[in-house]
Amino acid sequence: ISHFSSKTRGGEDPPTHPHPLYHIYARSNLRPVASSFDLRFPLTQHNITMADEAPPAAAPAPAAAGTGAKPEKKEKKAPPKDLVIPPKKPKLSKAERRALQEAQRAAKAAGGGGKKGGGGGGAGKGGKKKVDVHKGEAGSGGAGGGSSRKAAAAAAAPAVDPSMDKSLPSFSHLQQYRDPKHFEEEFSGISLGASNSVQNFHPAVLSLGMQYASGTIRGGNARAKAMLRTFQQVIRDYEPPAPSSSSSSSSRGGGKEDDVRHDLDHRIIKPAFQYWTTKCRPHSVSMGNAFTFLKLAVASLDRDMSVEEVKEILVDTIDAYIHERIDIADEAICKHGSSKIVDGDVILTYGCSSVVEVLLTDAAQEKGADTFRVIVVDSRPLLEGRALVARLADAGIECTYILLNALSYVMMREVTKVFLGAAALMSDGSVLSRVGTACVALMARSNNIPVLVCCETYKISNRVQLESITVNELGNPDDVISARCAMNGAASTAADGKQIDSVLGNWRDMPNLKVLSLLYDLTPSEFVSGIVTEMGILPATSVAVLLREMNPQDTNTAFMGSM
Amino acid sequence: LARIPQLAETATRPPQTTMSSSTTTTDESPVLQDLRRHLTGSSTDSGAAIDPEHRTAVALPVAAIKSLLGVIQRSQANTMMGLQEELRGAAEEMMAFATDCPGSLQLLGGRSHIALASGCELFMKYVTRAYLELPDFAACIAQIMERGERFAGISLAARDRIADVGQAFIQDGQTVLTHGWSRVVSNLLVKAAEHRHFSIVVLEGRPDAAGAKAAKVYADAGIPTTVVLDSAMSYVMENVDLVIVGAEGVVENGGIVNKIGTYGLGIAARELGKPFYVAAESYKFARLFPLNQSDLPPLGRNAAILSFVDTASWEMTGGLVGRPPPSAKEGADGEQVDSSSIPGVVQFKSEQVKVKNPPCDYTPAKYITLLFTDLGVLTPSAVSDELIRLYQ
Repeated sequence: ISHFSSKTRGGEDPPTHPHPLYHIYARSNLRPVASSFDLRFPLTQHNITMADEAPPAAAPAPAAAGTGAKPEKKEKKAPPKDLVIPPKKPKLSKAERRALQEAQRAAKAAGGGGKKGGGGGGAGKGGKKKVDVHKGEAGSGGAGGGSSRKAAAAAAAPAVDPSMDKSLPSFSHLQQYRDPKHFEEEFSGISLGASNSVQNFHPAVLSLGMQYASGTIRGGNARAKAMLRTFQQVIRDYEPPAPSSSSSSSSRGGGKEDDVRHDLDHRIIKPAFQYWTTKCRPHSVSMGNAFTFLKLAVASLDRDMSVEEVKEILVDTIDAYIHERIDIADEAICKHGSSKIVDGDVILTYGCSSVVEVLLTDAAQEKGADTFRVIVVDSRPLLEGRALVARLADAGIECTYILLNALSYVMMREVTKVFLGAAALMSDGSVLSRVGTACVALMARSNNIPVLVCCETYKISNRVQLESITVNELGNPDDVISARCAMNGAASTAADGKQIDSVLGNWRDMPNLKVLSLLYDLTPSEFVSGIVTEMGILPATSVAVLLREMNPQDTNTAFMGSM
Repeated sequence: LARIPQLAETATRPPQTTMSSSTTTTDESPVLQDLRRHLTGSSTDSGAAIDPEHRTAVALPVAAIKSLLGVIQRSQANTMMGLQEELRGAAEEMMAFATDCPGSLQLLGGRSHIALASGCELFMKYVTRAYLELPDFAACIAQIMERGERFAGISLAARDRIADVGQAFIQDGQTVLTHGWSRVVSNLLVKAAEHRHFSIVVLEGRPDAAGAKAAKVYADAGIPTTVVLDSAMSYVMENVDLVIVGAEGVVENGGIVNKIGTYGLGIAARELGKPFYVAAESYKFARLFPLNQSDLPPLGRNAAILSFVDTASWEMTGGLVGRPPPSAKEGADGEQVDSSSIPGVVQFKSEQVKVKNPPCDYTPAKYITLLFTDLGVLTPSAVSDELIRLYQ
């Protein structure tokens, strides 16, 4: 009987990029649902582990059959990113299922009790590649501490108090938050536990990863731009490998030209992206789309090109993408959006969106800073709006700053228009944006105030998301707990750097208490009056049309002739 | 035929008496003369309004397109850029005329100029596209002229197609509510009446009593018609089965701009669960995105003057108070009446009370069930699809 364990090498996390039908599988008869499936982000082959471990004695349950959800036959070949073959669901009897649930719960409790860092830390799930039903094996640990060592140890020990379990079942499918302070060795990039090769990353990649993880770079546009600039740097410094691999080149028959593209792709670009996503911070849709574009650019290079040419073309292509899809797009959005600003408007915005900031400052310049005023709504824990208010005030605009709980007051009395930014746009017109945006849009809608969402077209995602749980990102739970508020004063840390005791400062030791910090939420398209893109202002129902127009080759419809 | 406008330039015409026009029609550019001619069917009488019952009278966008064709014909440009400059200038001239010039009110018949703008923009987009397909300038021009000549025919054909698709939505024994005068809607209803029996309720349609005129047309066609006050629309809504209106313009999110009162009609229809249909040709699709009523393009200073004359009191008091109503079938055209001598008439000075008379309002897409267009039956969200395609 072969088995699988929840141990992953090097503490790496499975990435969060589930198949769009994920939530359907998640509602299967296996519970806790999220832990049963582990759809890995198939970028490189080095994160596949095949652990053979003796099953812990305590659990007589059958194995968590669903944990290895990937088509595992061809492990060595990274399947294309969009292709996910749904896993075969094993047939379990009711008793087996129940036993499985118990085992997983126990393992999770073991994992959660055994480690600090509640919802974060460590490997999220054991990713296992076999889908067979196995008996006599404790299931993978689901969320919270997934390390099989701990699971084995804990499972062998008497059952841990479930009230101390800090993991969240509904969100265990998401990549757990990894506090950079606890995982410094990750960011030094020494070893990522690769089974194939040791990754040596360009220092720019590592430093960008650190910036992502620590939150220095936030925001869809900023992250995507930083990523592309880093790739430019990496490409500029790229040296092709020594032409010693005769076997591979002869098998391809293309000689070293082919190797350049392939090498770039597999050795440089993909691993870097994989590193950022799994170790530092899950990638945003903007980063994902930019990355897809880059891969396409690399793949469409001519075979017979010298390395220098390849480098030059790629660097230019990246420049053009940033210029067209982000910078020029922002200008066009400004133009269309500011045509809707009239004298006397009171404009509300939420958080800190780069494009809304440019829109408002440009409108102030063109129409005069006293034509309108702005209310910036902000929320904890990130408090991003402070930076926006400062910059708008510098531009001469009259600003008001409120927190989210004061929203209904201003909305009913003063606001005439709402401008929001977006992290991504779904193809049915729903908007993925900073958590709290949906509240603002809902409140505006119920007061008949038009809501305009400003989003560049490169952020359009062709998936459909129905709620905010299936795809989201977990933030640092300690941020939620932080004592920084009016009661304790401005500082939450004392002079020696220790955290001032807040009411919930020791939440990890409190029973029956879990802390959740989400970063994104989904605004349904009914709340959005119009979406401002570089193509103009469109109704929310037209995002799918935009996708189609931008990618006509991807459209397979019976009505092709009418296009 | 294109030479006639040049001849007509030399004739002098008396300016309108009711409005102070600073320019006589002799000073008008050829473009505006063309526009006038296409709309009224004659260029010799500047006082001519459009005869609404004249079935072949063309819609505003069509007239605009034909005027632009005239521009092309007269044009001396040798390059596409030059021609496009001329066209743009002509379009702006027409728009300025529509918004600001006093003489335009009569000509446009109180309608908004959104349709004019959309027609011009559509035509210029078409010209650009034709040039992309056929880079040879002369050949391109020839093709544009040839297609343009057929445009009036396209307009009429569009109305017939709309009548075809829309008829199926009216069933025997139903009551249809309509508002405002629209050739498209009247064509649809009259054609439908050839096959089915139904009745029509028409809102009176102040200030230009467009509904009263429409009622005459329907009654002449043999359809049982009822006229009610505009304010009675919610009252009658429970007794009607569907609502059909036309549109001056269809905006990007699938909403429409139409005669004032359409918005309220849409809200009432939705509230009472009645389907709300819009009949509009595809050249009325405009690249506007109004967020609310105040976001509509400014309508210039040409709103008709409202008059508040009490006719009901005249009847009820046997002539003691108020003013006799005009004869039954004649529409009240807002002629100015010296009401100071009639008792019971409310008089106020314009400094005391402001009078607002917007000709059009915006009905958001959520109140519209379906649109009948020459492209077929569309849902409001499909309008943006078409616009993206059209203006790509």
